[in-house]
This record gives sequence, structure tokens and C-alpha cells, in this order.
Amino acid sequence: MTAPNNTAAVRSKSRASSYIDPATLMRIKNLELRAKLVVDGFLSGLHRSPYHGFSVEFTEYRQYSPGDDLRFLDWRLFARSDRFYLKRFEDETNLRCYLLVDLSRSMGFHSAALKYDKAEYAKTVAATIAYFLTLQRDAVGLITFDQAIREYVPARFRSGHLHRLMMLLEHQLAGTATNIGLPLEQVARTARKRGVVVLLSDLLAPIEMLETKLGYLRSQGHEVVVIRTLDPVEVGFHFSEESMFFDLESGRELYVDPQAARTDYLDRFDAHAKSLTRVCSGLGIDVYQLTTDQPLDLALFDLLNSRMRRGRQVARRRRV
Amino acid sequence: MGILVPLYLAGLTALSLPLILHLVRRTPRGRQEFSSLMFLSPTPPRLTRRSRLDQVLLLLLRLAALALVTLAFCRPFLREAASLTFADLTGKRLAILIDTSASMKRGDLWQQAIKAAEKQLDDLNPQDDVALFTFSDRLRTIIDFQKEGAPPIPNKPQLVRNQLNSLQPDWMPTDLGTALVAVAGELDTSGDVRQSPLEPQIVVISDFQSGSRIEALQTFEWPERVPVVTLTVAPLKTTNAHAQVLPAEEGNELGDARVRVVNAADSRGDQFTVEWAEAESSGARTDVYVPPGQTRIIRLPRGAENLQMDRVVLRGDEHDFDNTFFVVPPRQLEATLLYAGRDAAEDPEGLQLYLRLAVANDPLRRVDVRPLDVTKPLTAPGDIEPKIALVSQPVTEELRTALMKFVEQGGVLLLVPDGDEAATSVATFFDDVEFSRVAGDTVGANESRSEKYLLLGEIDFTHPLFAPFASPRYSDFTKIHFWKHRVVTLKPPATTRVVARFDNGDPALLERSVGKGRVLAMTSGWQPADSQLALSSKFVPLVGALLDLACGGTEVAEGVAVGQPMTLPSSKQPEPIVVQTPDGREVRLESDAATFAETDRTGIYRAKVGSTETRFAVNLSPSESLTTPMDLEQLEQRGVRIGTELTRTQRIDRVRQQRDTELESRQKVWRWLIVVALGLLALETWWAGRAERKIAVEQM
Repeated sequence: MTAPNNTAAVRSKSRASSYIDPATLMRIKNLELRAKLVVDGFLSGLHRSPYHGFSVEFTEYRQYSPGDDLRFLDWRLFARSDRFYLKRFEDETNLRCYLLVDLSRSMGFHSAALKYDKAEYAKTVAATIAYFLTLQRDAVGLITFDQAIREYVPARFRSGHLHRLMMLLEHQLAGTATNIGLPLEQVARTARKRGVVVLLSDLLAPIEMLETKLGYLRSQGHEVVVIRTLDPVEVGFHFSEESMFFDLESGRELYVDPQAARTDYLDRFDAHAKSLTRVCSGLGIDVYQLTTDQPLDLALFDLLNSRMRRGRQVARRRRV
Repeated sequence: MGILVPLYLAGLTALSLPLILHLVRRTPRGRQEFSSLMFLSPTPPRLTRRSRLDQVLLLLLRLAALALVTLAFCRPFLREAASLTFADLTGKRLAILIDTSASMKRGDLWQQAIKAAEKQLDDLNPQDDVALFTFSDRLRTIIDFQKEGAPPIPNKPQLVRNQLNSLQPDWMPTDLGTALVAVAGELDTSGDVRQSPLEPQIVVISDFQSGSRIEALQTFEWPERVPVVTLTVAPLKTTNAHAQVLPAEEGNELGDARVRVVNAADSRGDQFTVEWAEAESSGARTDVYVPPGQTRIIRLPRGAENLQMDRVVLRGDEHDFDNTFFVVPPRQLEATLLYAGRDAAEDPEGLQLYLRLAVANDPLRRVDVRPLDVTKPLTAPGDIEPKIALVSQPVTEELRTALMKFVEQGGVLLLVPDGDEAATSVATFFDDVEFSRVAGDTVGANESRSEKYLLLGEIDFTHPLFAPFASPRYSDFTKIHFWKHRVVTLKPPATTRVVARFDNGDPALLERSVGKGRVLAMTSGWQPADSQLALSSKFVPLVGALLDLACGGTEVAEGVAVGQPMTLPSSKQPEPIVVQTPDGREVRLESDAATFAETDRTGIYRAKVGSTETRFAVNLSPSESLTTPMDLEQLEQRGVRIGTELTRTQRIDRVRQQRDTELESRQKVWRWLIVVALGLLALETWWAGRAERKIAVEQM
């Protein structure tokens, strides 16, 4: 698990408590219902928005400088002090969150012990986050992708938007490869305001270009959370029978004796995970690895945890 | 070698299966889908104990047993003779039947037929017998089979080849059925009688046109042992049409001709021209459009200018053999009639005027009416010899002598006395006739004028003069009134023949044969004073019949198809009948011959029966123009056993196969192979048991 130590402690403690068993949860067909079930009971509350705009709630005054909008000028204060001051308010739309969901064929894998695949799990996580944020009146956008971008919905908060997101998440898997760079580029190109970008993928793809793309997003001020979704078998490679291994994406076949190949596989897998962690931590990005047998509440917890830590960092920076 | 043997031998390859199963790397049974192979690398196969061969002897025993069973299925045998030669073949009795009908004149069909026949001759063995037949409407034996007991004919194929070159197609229609029946019957019976080992076979070389007659096969039970090989010759160009002139409607014999144009079903052209033609010129023509397989009836205008044209020619198709249809043209007869009378040529009360009117405007005859001059010879040099003389005036002794001489040489003399004196002189021509009394109102001593008219009561319609009126439709003479006639008495024994009598029994027309000719005498004239005859509708045909009697008729008989016998008109004269064929040949027939059978080519034939020349057209049978190829299955449906054409090599192969089958069934090697295989299996069982016990002991 590549998460900070304190988070891991909370999560392990939480696992003992009453998390919903993902196998039970996945039997519910409706994605929205699943999300509602996960979010239900989760602590909800508005968080302070870092943005300012036209709103009811006043925050502070700022001295006028030429070019500012005259609508926000406080005429009464001008009458009293003969100085121009602008009134600033809290922005009502707090957060813009982009969910980047990998729906390539590799996400269609599931081990024999589980009845649902990684994509189903990732979709539920995405739906849960979307539902949770919608409850908080935050704007949620969605990008589904494989080797190309399949669907793109800009971040909005309006009635029916959540339902639309759920519908798009229901799409079938396609594609013969995974290109993680493309959705990141898309967000960087289209998102004007800073927000949170949640990347849900198995990240079973070369990560050479990932650093550049993530770095670009970070430089625009976006907060990025990577939730890596993996099947338990992918992590441990618990195969016993020698067989022809069939690549779900490329269709390539390979004769593999698991007994002989397991060590080598685990070494390479760890190396890949480590390099991913190194790249992300260098950019200040949290990477959370979720196996599909883990409760989905953890994903929500990871997101909030990431936001909290980010908030503390900002506060510290301001204080400094 | 049976048809399944290659399959059985292919089964031998299955012997390698155990080896393959043992040695080839076992491919993994399972197939595992995985999200990505990026962390995996191929694992090299591991050698297991299964890959090694432990019990080689057992394997070999089992393989050998399987191989022996497979070989037993192949039913092998040991061949005695190394190879077969053509001399080992059973001889065959080959009947080559070549179609020589008219349709074989198309294109290069005949050359193709000769080539096909020569190919058959090339493929003969010395022990074979061959016969050559041709057929069209009947079968002709050109070279027969070897007779029993007769010395063998040396180099018979060469003899047949020589005869082939002298054959030509004729104009006859095709009767394939009769020809096949005749040859098959002969082959079958000759085989039965002689117990000959030769295999009979008929090879028919023909264009197998749909017009071929095959009805004869219907009632014939085809001999099972006689196969028929059909060799079809076909022309490159297939457009063929023919024209046939249909019989004219009654009363319109000289009008437009009705022509039936038939286009063959496999024709490619559909635009034709039909025209009247003679030997070297052509007349009126009509274009006609006939789609393939259809028939059209058209009217071909004739007119006076085409009246003498003797054929209708169709143009526009690719085969000429059936394009000409012969039609006998009405012949224009030129004759001279001598007239001796006291009346002028324009006298309406006389005889001559009506006679001239009757012979004028006849499209079939041009009659020159000339006054008879006793002082001059009856026939002037360069003139047409007169065959008829008509006398109404009193006859002097000098004239009588001349006339009798004229009659004896074959002339016809008609006496129509215009008065007493003339009537008296008429009697001098007849030995047994006397003008005894006068009937009717008396004008002269022997003349009578009857208020009560007489009618012709008794007419001999067998006489040439009245033969045209023999039909009941035309035989009514009761509307012709005779007011005046001379009563004559015949003195017995009378040699003079009475051809017609009045209703009171008085002779109206007398006839006497003198030498080659005949003398006719009428007791009443046709002038208005005597009778209504000249004004009646019978007069012109009667004069025509008189001219025919004297000059010979222009009989036009209905045409027949080639090969059909032509019925000839009956002749009472002892002279033989001479028929002139279109190629100028003259065929003499007995005088009592009823038919002429040698109608072997198309054209116009002339048959001279007595003084009458009958012309008739002989045309190609319409069925011969149906040149679309027939469906050969029709022969099979009628029981004909259709064989296949086999070359000598193919026949040898067939014989070899038969011998192989016999050898195999005699030797039965397969039984021994099965026995050995069973022995091997027994050995294998024993050895396997032994090995198993050994392993068990080792494991203990």
C-alpha cells in the first residue's frame, strides 16, 4: 500500500469497523444506488472554498485598482472614507473535480475468486466520489478513456448531471491499449479553474510520459489523486497451472509456468509500482492502491484524506 | 485397385500419431486471460518423463499390427503378368453409322463426320471387325461385317477409309430410329448365332438434329449388349431458316404465294429475305423478321412477271442446303389451231369468233388460230406444228385426204358442220355413221330447229374432253340449251364412240381414233343459232380440254418431299412413262407404273405419260430443316443403351482392373495379413503383461 503511514493506520482500523463488503455491494446493479450506499453515513460537511467570487457571504475588502469590476465597489465605504474598496465574497461553487476513469480492456480482468472486474470496481469508486461531491454541491466532471478518450463531460453542478455521469460510466470496455497521458492533457487543456483530478486506473502501462503530463497538471495548480485499482491476483500472482496467458488488450499469447515466472513477475511489478510512486511523490501527488477486494469506502476516505492534507499544507504555507 | 484404397493407405499416416503424441511438446490445456503481459516473459518448456519412449518394442508391435490391418483393407494381390498389350483386348464388332441426310451439308459437318469416322478406324485392333453404314431416310450398307466362313478381308479399316472418301451427303430426311434398329438388330442376332466373343458396338456420327425421326425405337426392345456411342458434329454457325410454299387457296392458284418461314431455335439471325427466282435471275422479294424458334407466314407477291419462276429462295441465313423451295410454274403452251370455215373471224353468227375469244387471254396458252389452206402444206417450216384442226365447211376430197393424213400423224380433227353439205361430208370421216333424219324446225334437208330445246343428257366424263368437269361441282350441263342438231345413226357394229348424247338419246359428240390421232364430230355447233354452248361457262374449259387433248396437257401435280414416291397419272397408252430428273437423267418406267420412287434430289421432275407431260416439284423434307440439336436423352428414354467412347488405352485399363479384381478375389492375401496382425497383437499382449509385472516388482 503506497499511502502515508497515518492514513494506513486509520484505514486498517476502519477495516475492522463496519465497511460494506465490496462483493455484496457489487451485486447491486444500479451504479447510483451503490454510490449512495457507500456515501450514506459518511461524514458530510462543507469545506472552505479557496475561491472568491460573487456570493452572499462577505469575506474581506480589497483596495480598488483600475480595471476592477465597479459592481463590487462598496459605495458606502467610499462615502465614509473617500477611498475605493471592493467587497469580496465566498464563491458558492466550491470544488471542481475531474474523474478520469480507465475503461480499457485490461480493466476487465478479475480473478476467479471475485465475480466482478477492476472496471466495475473503478466505476463504483468514481460513482461514489461523484455522488459524494454532488451532495456537497461541488462540480464533477468525467473523462473515460482507453487508448483514446471515449467520453468527456466538463465539471458542472446542476440537476441531472450526476445521472448523466452514471449513464456514461455504464459503457462497455473497449480499446486495445491504455494511454493515461491523453485524459491528463485533456483536463490541462480545458479546466480553467483549479480543481481536483482523480485518476482511476490500473496503471498497467509504461509510465515514462506520465511524469510530464502530471507535472503539467500540477503546474496549473490542480490537485491530483491517483487511485490505482488492481486485482489481488495481479498483486500476488497466485497462479498454479501452467497455461497460455492471453493479454486482454493486445491479444498476445504467452506460455507461462507461474511457478517459474512468479518471482520475476513480482520483481518487475514492484519496480513498476516503485517508479510510479517515485514519480508521483516528486510532484506532490498521492497514490493510493486499492485491490478490488477492499471496501470502497476507503477510496472516499483516501480522497478526503488527500484533501485534508492538502488543506493543511496550504495553511502551513500561508502561515509561513 | 479399389476407389477406397488411397483412403486406406492414407490411414497409414495415423501410425505416426502415437509418436507425435509422445514426442511433441504438450501444449498447455488451460488458457488464462490476464490484464497485461508486460511483467511476464515466456517460460521454456520443461522436459518430463512422458516425453521419453520407454517401451519401444511394444510401440513397434502395435504399429505393425495397425499397419497390417490397414494393408488388409487395401486387399493386396500378387500380379502375374507384368503388363497388357492391345492384343489382349477382347475384339469388338464396330458398326460405324454415318448420317448422310441433307442437314449434313451444312458448313463443315461432313468433313467433321469423316474425321470422326477415321479416328474410330485408327483406334481399331487387328482382332476387331468393322462395318460401315450410312443412313438418311433408310439404311445403306457400305461395307458389311465379316461373313461367317468367308475369307477374312485384308486391311479392312483401309477399305472402309477408302469408301468413306467416296461418300457424300444426299438430300434425304433423317430416320435415325430405323437405322439404329436395323443395325442393332443385326449386331444382336449375329452375335447370338455365332456365339462370337466380339463385343458389339455402334458408333453414330451425326448432327443429331431435332428433325431426326426416332419413332422406330418406340416399338423396338433394345438389345442390352449393344451400346451406342454418339459422336455429335456441330457447325460453328447455327443460323438456319427455311421457306416452304404452302398450297394456294382454291381459285387463286396464280395469285400471291403463301410462304411459311421457319427459323431454327438455335439461330442467331432473325432477318431474312424471301424471293422468287429462276436458274439465273430473281424476281419479287419480301423481307421477313422471324425470331429464333418461331414461324411466320408471309405473302410473296407473284404477278405476271414472276409467273414462270420455278423456285422460292430464302436468303439471310448461314446454311444454303434448305433455302430453295421448288414450285412448278404454270407452263405457257404455244399451239397452232387450223380453222376451215365459211364464216368470217368477226361474224357473231359463226363459230370462229367464239373460238378465238375462248383461246385469247389464256395465261397458260398462246394459241394461233390460222385458216386452213389446202393448197399449202399444213406445217410451214419454222412454225409450231399444228396439232388440231377445226372444220365447219364442206370437205373436198383433197382436203379430206390431207386431214386424214394429219390425223393419222397424231392430229386432232374436230368437225362441226355448219350446214347440210358440210354434215354430209362429215359422214365421210366415219365409216359407220349416217345422218338419217332431221330434227327440229326444218331449214334444210338434214337440219332441224326445235322449239323444244334439247339438253346434254349423257356425258362420258372419263373422256379427256369432259374430264375437267368430272367433279359434281362442275358437271351440271343442264343449263345449256340446244335448239338445232343433226340426227345421226350409228350402223352396227359401230367403232365410233359416242362421247355425249342429248337427253333424247341422239349423239351429240362422236369420236373415232385414226392412226395416232382422233376425229371428233359435233352434231350441233356453238353458234347462237344452234345452241347456248358458246355463251355458257363451260365453253372456255371445253376448248381448253380440246387443246390439252391435242397438244398435251400442262398437268401440275402436287409436290412431294425428297424420298417420297410420286403418284403418277394413269396412262392408257402402251408407251413407257419417261421421267426426267432435275439433273437431266431419264428414268423409264412401265406404262402401268403408278408411282415414281426415285425422288432422290430436289428440283422439278417431268413425267411424260402418253401425250401429257406432268411436272412435279420435289423439295426437301421440312423436318430436315429443323437443325436444332436434339436432346440425346430422348434416345435413352426410348431404351437405347448409350455407351461411352473408350480409346484402346482406356479399354486396357478397364481390362486390367477386371483382372486385378479377379486375382485379388482368388488370392485373398488379406486373410493372411489379418492372421499375422492377430499374432502380433497376441505377442504384444504377452509382452505388455510381462513388462507390467516387471515394473510392479521394481516398485515393490
